[in-house]
Amino acid sequence: MSQEVAHDDSHHNLMVKNKKLLMWLFLGSDCMFFGTLISTHLIYRKLYPEEFDPTLLFSLELTSFSTFILLMSSFLMALSVSAMHKGEIKSFRRNVIGVIFFGLIFLGCQVYEFAHFVHEGLTLSTGTFGSTFYLMTGTHGVHVAIGVFWLISMLFYSKGGNMEAHKNAVDVETAGLYWHFVDIVWIVIFTVVYLIEFIA
Amino acid sequence: MTTDTTIISNPKQNTDISELKPELSDIGLVRPDHSKNVFIDWLTTVDHKKIGLMYGTLALFFLLVGGLEALVIRTQLAVPENDLISAQRYNQLFTMHGTTMIFLAIMPLNAAFFNFLVPLQIGARDVAFPRINAFSLWAFVAGALVVNFGWILQALEAFGLFSASGPTAGMNDFVPAMGWFGYAPITGKEFTGAGTDFWIMGLQILGVASISASFNFIVTIINMRAPGVKMMRLPVFTWMTLIVSLLIIFAFPAITIALAQLMFDRVFGTNFFSVAGGGQPILWQHLFWIFGHPEVYILVLPAMGIVSEVLPTFARKPLFGYAIVVFSGAVIGFLGFAVWSHHMFTTGLGKIATAAFSLLTMAIAVPTGVKIFNWVGTLWGGKIRFHAPMIFALGFVWMFMMGGFSGIMHSSAPADAQQQDSYFVIAHFHYVAIGGILLAIVSGIYYWLPKMIGRMWQGKLNIWVGILTVVGLNITFFPMHFLGLLGMPRRTHTYLSGFGWETYNLVCTIGSYILAFGVLLLLVDIIRCFRSKIPAGNDPWDARTLEWATSSPPKVYNFAQTPIVNARDAFWADKYGPLDRKMGMVDESHGIHMPSQSWMPLIASFGFIPLGLGMSLMQAGVPYAGYTAILGLVILVLGIALWAIEGPGGYHLHPNKQSH
Amino acid sequence: MKKLKALRIWLMSILGLIPLIFISGCNLNTRMSTFVTKGPVAETQLDLFMLTVWVTGFIFLAVGGVYVYVVIRFRDKKGDENIIPTQGHGNPLIELSLIGISILLLVIIAVPTLQGIWYTHDVPDDESSLLGSWYSHGDISDAAKEEPFIIRAIGYRWWWEFEYPQLGITTANEFVIPAGRPIHIELRSVDVIHSFWLPKIAGKVDLIPGRANSMWIQAGDSKEAWIEKNNFSGSDSETQLAYLKYLEDEIYDYYYGQCAEYCGDSHARMLFRAHVVSDDRFYSWIDRMKTGHTKAPDDMNWDNWYQAYDQSPETLTGDINEGLKLFMGRAKCATCHVVKGNPRAVGVAGPNLTYLAERHSIAAGWLNHRNEDNTVDKKAQLANFIQWIKHTDDVKPGNLMWKAKGGGIGELQPLLNDEEIRKISLYLQSLQ
Repeated sequence: MSQEVAHDDSHHNLMVKNKKLLMWLFLGSDCMFFGTLISTHLIYRKLYPEEFDPTLLFSLELTSFSTFILLMSSFLMALSVSAMHKGEIKSFRRNVIGVIFFGLIFLGCQVYEFAHFVHEGLTLSTGTFGSTFYLMTGTHGVHVAIGVFWLISMLFYSKGGNMEAHKNAVDVETAGLYWHFVDIVWIVIFTVVYLIEFIA
Repeated sequence: MTTDTTIISNPKQNTDISELKPELSDIGLVRPDHSKNVFIDWLTTVDHKKIGLMYGTLALFFLLVGGLEALVIRTQLAVPENDLISAQRYNQLFTMHGTTMIFLAIMPLNAAFFNFLVPLQIGARDVAFPRINAFSLWAFVAGALVVNFGWILQALEAFGLFSASGPTAGMNDFVPAMGWFGYAPITGKEFTGAGTDFWIMGLQILGVASISASFNFIVTIINMRAPGVKMMRLPVFTWMTLIVSLLIIFAFPAITIALAQLMFDRVFGTNFFSVAGGGQPILWQHLFWIFGHPEVYILVLPAMGIVSEVLPTFARKPLFGYAIVVFSGAVIGFLGFAVWSHHMFTTGLGKIATAAFSLLTMAIAVPTGVKIFNWVGTLWGGKIRFHAPMIFALGFVWMFMMGGFSGIMHSSAPADAQQQDSYFVIAHFHYVAIGGILLAIVSGIYYWLPKMIGRMWQGKLNIWVGILTVVGLNITFFPMHFLGLLGMPRRTHTYLSGFGWETYNLVCTIGSYILAFGVLLLLVDIIRCFRSKIPAGNDPWDARTLEWATSSPPKVYNFAQTPIVNARDAFWADKYGPLDRKMGMVDESHGIHMPSQSWMPLIASFGFIPLGLGMSLMQAGVPYAGYTAILGLVILVLGIALWAIEGPGGYHLHPNKQSH
Repeated sequence: MKKLKALRIWLMSILGLIPLIFISGCNLNTRMSTFVTKGPVAETQLDLFMLTVWVTGFIFLAVGGVYVYVVIRFRDKKGDENIIPTQGHGNPLIELSLIGISILLLVIIAVPTLQGIWYTHDVPDDESSLLGSWYSHGDISDAAKEEPFIIRAIGYRWWWEFEYPQLGITTANEFVIPAGRPIHIELRSVDVIHSFWLPKIAGKVDLIPGRANSMWIQAGDSKEAWIEKNNFSGSDSETQLAYLKYLEDEIYDYYYGQCAEYCGDSHARMLFRAHVVSDDRFYSWIDRMKTGHTKAPDDMNWDNWYQAYDQSPETLTGDINEGLKLFMGRAKCATCHVVKGNPRAVGVAGPNLTYLAERHSIAAGWLNHRNEDNTVDKKAQLANFIQWIKHTDDVKPGNLMWKAKGGGIGELQPLLNDEEIRKISLYLQSLQ
């Protein structure tokens, strides 16, 4: 997609394409974004343990389900990357549709969850818990949404046979990196924001 | 042996860019390549050199703006109980002075050097992502506009063209007035108005610009080096660029999130920093300084890089202890993330934390000291030529040392309890910022401007620039050490007589005018250089690094043929070294691939302006602000989408011998 | 000549520095000087500062000396143009030993720094720090006897409130403390961040909303510390006399402090004072603050005065009575201010005005009326009261007394006229 190959004829000192390196750096930086959000949440959680009891609100079943969905989407993403490498455009498209579908289910779950929580009285201004929870999971949701948008445009782009393995494998791989990262972040959030509440 | 001696060319092929036919992009629009219109050419450029020059010009403009703000501040403080300007105006001025100097003057000045020099120093044709580079520049412009939008409104108000009434009544004030580190909760909506919102959104946009530029530089330096440019052969300036870029991508997220949280507090009523809802204002300080301290090194490491280039050139010796200078730069960057709380010694961190941050802060003095030792070592045994760049570089070492010493004084937490938030701190960081960073940047300007524009300096104005800035800086800031130790707190718009501060303040004010005059002369000298008739030639200083091997100004493709490097100071080795250290050439008889120009980075980044302003005005309840923000977002997304599908394009050049 | 131009610049800048050294040599004993310390906390801080000055001064001379030598010695001389110096790349041994020396020098600073952090953080943990060990006047609770003496400093935009929770009194902007006694200061803020800085006695600590910060201060050495420091030997009474003389000569004084963290428009005008006095004067001040103004003007008791005020205010005549009537009535002062003793002046939004006329400044230390001999300049005081009430918003831009969402004196319709302002001021001057 975003094709920033300025130098077709230039070599790369590392055996990594520029685009992929860029994505790695972005993900490194993104770690700090999520690190800041998650630590803000945990700091306030530790500071005001009594302020709010999320176990009464969280539905572990639903969130486990959406986590599982996201994990599965990562699996399909891996399949589509490998399909692209082999030049199997059809298989690639099939798998990407799956990723998009699962991503949308995840987003749907999140929208439902947010609506439910707001209905139950947890809003942005509900103490610090509401603030940190929504900003953190919301930022993650925006990441998923951007990923879905990205994959949809890739899907459309690949329709007319525009994509070829030697040229576009790196694009798909970059998108895959992004998708896996978003997935990993969710697993961290699921663990330290949801699961821990039920353990403690 | 330089690049122009062994060029293989085909005279039948096009060599002049203007003769190339414009082509269509993948979306069917004409690419703005080879435009004869100067404005279109510069607005759509993806050439790192032009982008660097634009960064530099804008940064010098904001240096003047920030300097003017400082002069008004100093004039107000010249005598006790002065009422030249109101308390509110003063607070706006010091807030914008800090914000402007850090984000709109020094960072882009550094970015100007990064852009212009890094590809040249590593023998690349451009940065890795030329269009992202253009995007960073224009996003910086958008951010600068949003941060300063309050001044524009203030000016309109002064001419009677605007007033906060009716739909805009909720704006309160237009210009931020909470200090450049915006400590919560004074940034809360119950204490400050629209100015704070402009500041938040402006900094967010500037953050996007900085982070995206940094990705670019890291990829460029890691992946685009010419053959033989191993990491340990990189010029120190490029090394420092790499470290600074890494610092930016890891430090900026902290402030981005903090600003987002603050924005949510103001616009959507969250409780991150609002005490009433359980928020802890101290959290802002932690998040801010986790960014803010690395930011200090983001500002100063490029200066160290510049000096590490200038000193060897004019001492005609390699940098003493190259490896250890590079390593200490990395250590400074790394430790920079571990000392943020030394800005918070007076916030009641507790004994253990205070002690830990005190010791870590002392530790960071070691790699800084190492650099100074190595600079002195570089001079030792050299043949020091006192050209203008060298004068400022020598001044940098001296003044930076002074700033470093007061830094060591701060590191002792109990002593810092008396210095924190007093004029002592002002003295400390202005010695570092002006005596250190600015002198180094001026040195860099004197050193590289001939390379950038192909004209040589004329006259002896540089001597006066040197005298006035150094003398002015010392007269302005040395007495401030005493002011602080005599109890004058910073950020006070006036003071009573009888506290023994009158003489010092007057002297400081006089000094600030001397300093300002020096900076003005610098600009005059730069303009004279642009008008100079003396050609610079490829290598006016008998320099050492790769950028001097090509023409001045460098052609759009930088090097007619990519050099093969066999030594650390590649060009010096090529000139004076043994045969096996001289440079070789990559055979590029098939021509040079150049990236196409594009409107998309400009369009996408200008989407930030309505986005930023709209988001800012939402808090004040200005009608349609939300729609404006959405419009901005649409422009941004559309710009990026078109950017993606227009394709990179590109054309081939075949430089011949003469055109090099 | 050209080669020497850098040297010329350095010479010029050193010349530029000379006048600075001159002025720096002048008076360091100013009102808020950190060089003149009057307590163990500030003294520790100054000692550490001076240590850093000596260490960095040493480095400055060593490195700076070498630097100047190198720049002069290795300058490019005439005829050298074509000589290329040896291209030495560095010397690991030199570099490592320089690193070693720097670390060593930092350790010299680090060790006393750690000691200083521990010492300046909390009230010393010993018997003599407890309030019960020295407070011998009036009743304090048993719990208070086991605590250090506590003052709660509360920051408002832009003034200070000082509560003495163990002694049950409150004052504003000027507080009184006994010499030689450790005091635990609780730092609280009701709005934004402020910072408590009393330079001669202690460095600053911030007042952060939502956070319970504290610090400790002590004006002058305790008797034991003073004996030890001066190696004083003599009989108990001699010691006592000499110690009192030390307090008399050096410690009893009027100390200046100021908010040191930017807190909005009038941050520059948020000052405070600490009056350091002997134990006896401290006790009598506490007594007066506790009882407050037991009598209304004209020595009436308050019940009678209010009866008259409610039923036939015209019988209360004279400037001071008129002033008090305005204070309670049209000017609405009493909705925000406490005047201890006056049963109806119980507002808490503004500074406590008990014995206001005995303070040496008003408007958080911005308007001063103190004579050199520590008495109050009555004429200046009246002028200050008038200026403050008349031009509140100029003296302290943005403050609540002028505009408080409909309740401020700047929002009165009509504004107070000059005669009314004079009467209120005269009443305020009677608060002594």
